[in-house]
Amino acid sequence: MENKTLASVRKPIKVLDGKVMLIVCIIIVAFLYAANIFGIFSSNTMRYLMKIFLYITMGEMWNLLSGFTGMTSLGNQTFIGLAGFTVAVATSTYNLPIWLGILIGLAIGVVVAFLLSFVLFRMRGMYFAIATWVIAEAICTAFKSWPYVNMGGGMSIKAKPYPKTPEIYLMALTLFVVAMIVVYLLLRTKTGLGLTAMRDDADAASSVGVNIFKSKLLVYVIAAGFTAIAGAIFFINKGTIYPDSGFNIDWTVSMVFIVIVGGIGTVSGPVVGAIVYVLLDEFLAHFPGWSNIILGAIAILVILFLPDGIMGTLQKKLHFEIFSQKRFSEHKKDIGKKAQLQ
Amino acid sequence: MIIIQYLINGIMLGGIYALLGVGMTMIFGIVKLTNLAHGEFVIIGAYASTLVAQALGVDPILTLIVTVPFMFLLGMGLQSGLINRVMQKGSEPALLVTFGLSIILQDAMLLLFTADARHAGAAYSSTIIKIGSISIALLDIILLAISLLSILILTWFLNKTYMGRSIRATSDDTQAASLMGVSVKKTYAIALGIAMATAAVAGLCIGLKWTFYASSGGSYLLIAFGVVVIGGMGSIPGTLVAGLIFGLAQVIGGANWGLLISYVLLIIMLAVRPQGLFSK
Amino acid sequence: MSEPLLKVEGVQAKYGDFIAVQSASLDVPEGKIVSLIGSNGAGKSTLMDTIAGLHKPSAGKIYFKGEDITGLPAEKIVTRGLSLVPQGSRCFIRMSVEDNLIMGSFPKNVRAKAKDSLERVYSLFPVLKEKRNDASGSLSGGQRQMVAIGRALMTNPELILFDEISLGLAPTIIKDIYATVKDINRTTGMTVVLVEQDTHRAIKTGEFCHVMLKGNVVLSGRSKELGDDEIKKAYFGI
Repeated sequence: MENKTLASVRKPIKVLDGKVMLIVCIIIVAFLYAANIFGIFSSNTMRYLMKIFLYITMGEMWNLLSGFTGMTSLGNQTFIGLAGFTVAVATSTYNLPIWLGILIGLAIGVVVAFLLSFVLFRMRGMYFAIATWVIAEAICTAFKSWPYVNMGGGMSIKAKPYPKTPEIYLMALTLFVVAMIVVYLLLRTKTGLGLTAMRDDADAASSVGVNIFKSKLLVYVIAAGFTAIAGAIFFINKGTIYPDSGFNIDWTVSMVFIVIVGGIGTVSGPVVGAIVYVLLDEFLAHFPGWSNIILGAIAILVILFLPDGIMGTLQKKLHFEIFSQKRFSEHKKDIGKKAQLQ
Repeated sequence: MIIIQYLINGIMLGGIYALLGVGMTMIFGIVKLTNLAHGEFVIIGAYASTLVAQALGVDPILTLIVTVPFMFLLGMGLQSGLINRVMQKGSEPALLVTFGLSIILQDAMLLLFTADARHAGAAYSSTIIKIGSISIALLDIILLAISLLSILILTWFLNKTYMGRSIRATSDDTQAASLMGVSVKKTYAIALGIAMATAAVAGLCIGLKWTFYASSGGSYLLIAFGVVVIGGMGSIPGTLVAGLIFGLAQVIGGANWGLLISYVLLIIMLAVRPQGLFSK
Repeated sequence: MSEPLLKVEGVQAKYGDFIAVQSASLDVPEGKIVSLIGSNGAGKSTLMDTIAGLHKPSAGKIYFKGEDITGLPAEKIVTRGLSLVPQGSRCFIRMSVEDNLIMGSFPKNVRAKAKDSLERVYSLFPVLKEKRNDASGSLSGGQRQMVAIGRALMTNPELILFDEISLGLAPTIIKDIYATVKDINRTTGMTVVLVEQDTHRAIKTGEFCHVMLKGNVVLSGRSKELGDDEIKKAYFGI
């Protein structure tokens, strides 16, 4: 650890987040919106992109928890399933409009995250990881015996008119853009810096005045909220939801893959990871049954031989960082080190 | 009378659950690794026993002669070839690697053995012994005996042999153990080998008692984890008690609610004594 | 003088970027008690860990019985007859006293002698025999230190390194333990390296003396020939 820090301090790091980078991003986003408005993309392309946007959002949120805050969760599917079912119940049982269903889904995700935090934040590391998984499994099991959500029989989402692919594309794109801005801004704030400090050493962070519970709660609630909306949009696209599809551990498999392959603890990593994931997933559809085996094997190989993922490795090799808050934390560590020496 | 019947059924299940937990607790306590693939190991054991018994036309229990050494070697190979290397990168990567292993194994079994339900039948599977108004399945008694005997042998091994002592010593202090001539990596490999051997036995029990699927690993992992958390790490009596608690929950709640009760119990336990149960 | 039993040549040991031992050289003649003194953070413990194989040196050579043991892992070094009693005793706290001692006979080449060695340790420390079935975690600090020493003796070493065995113990217990160490050396001819912070005790016990300062061995010689002043100067670096 010490070595890395020193090495990166010695060589100047180009942080690509100036005006140029901002303009590039705005152009890309504008293009993605314009392409939709002018109907440039085929509906197939839109479906791919939509999937990518949703997976980026989920990946960024998992990364926020695991990569930046040290809370490795195996249970983010809790929020996907809850939001998906909320939209289904809202639209088919209560005939509410779909946007209201999404909002209620978001609210439920946030409230559940808030309540769970009192239980989960008493745990660290693997206990936290397992507990999040157990909670997802428990909710899944409960849903299978709950007549209100049609037990294990599944529910369909009903809306008149049902949103078409371009509209769902717009929802996913907007969610992705907002998620990226929120992650970027969050990591820039004092809370963001505190979080990174906390991941590296919770005790030290608390001793320098980072309110651990509050910071963790903020991140957990944000992650839950965005993951919930992503789940809701995903199931709106799909039309039906079952407990076994909503609360499936496969969601976590995807998120872990995206973040590990893209580069854990980097903002740009999940973007690359999600693109790789969606392309690979599409390709692996030709080999039924092999998909998880190959994804799992790739993830293990990456952990073994490329532990920083694609973006992490590129950034280290080429000495650049995209939208990083790391330079602040490194700066801080440096000051800390000087203080220690004196 | 019905209470006694429940208690007996709970004890019968408890033995199997305790055995599930023992393999998990070994790896937790000694290698300091959360093995998320333990459920799949158990299902591999179940398939191995079922298939070998079918192929050779022998009693499933006899297959242990083959499956236990096979799983032991598999575990040793896995630890020395993969997990020892990942563990140098930290506990979180190691956790994620076992997670990756679990999904790989699950889908590999799905490909190899299809999604069909499996079951290992034996001649005594439907024999019921009646004592007054209480009835006990002969199979349950046999499975309880197998579970307890396995745990007993393991306890003896850990307490009375050089190898067993070196495993406990490594769990207490790796550096001090290496000063006594213990190779920590080799010890870890043996520990995972033993954990997989217990998974082979647990798998046999599950195959004899219930039907199982390629995807059944997850729920057995959570039971195993629950037994570890509630029983306390490395405590074999604790593991037995926790097995009994989970067995009773299952008997009282039935399949679905029993699982839910177990999950809720586990979460409460984690929240109330998060590290307490594991701390020395 | 004949070939020393242990020869350390320019050993360097680092933790990440932090250099704990810069360049340490020292000789340990066979059959003697040698003291290694130095203040807190001088690098004594790191040097001991490096010699015993718990820590890999980044430079330098270590010879034991004339053979190069540099960089060998601890579990290999102990079978060659070099044993370390680490700082803070490091007992296997959840194991019984007797199981702790038996762990000392884990190396295959000493297993046959396990019973005799155990009796020998029990005769050196009768209190351990009384408490043989207690968990070592329940013992007092001095008794734990006895377990650690006994455990190291069980490996049948030719050279035994004691890393600050007096740390945190009452003076009377220290006196007893040092008497035992001297006794072992006298009766079996086992070579001993004693790491100490207390200069006085070190000079009194060790025939030879090495002084470490800021990661280097700055003074070596026969304890009697080194003056009190010289040692103090080396110790404090003035």
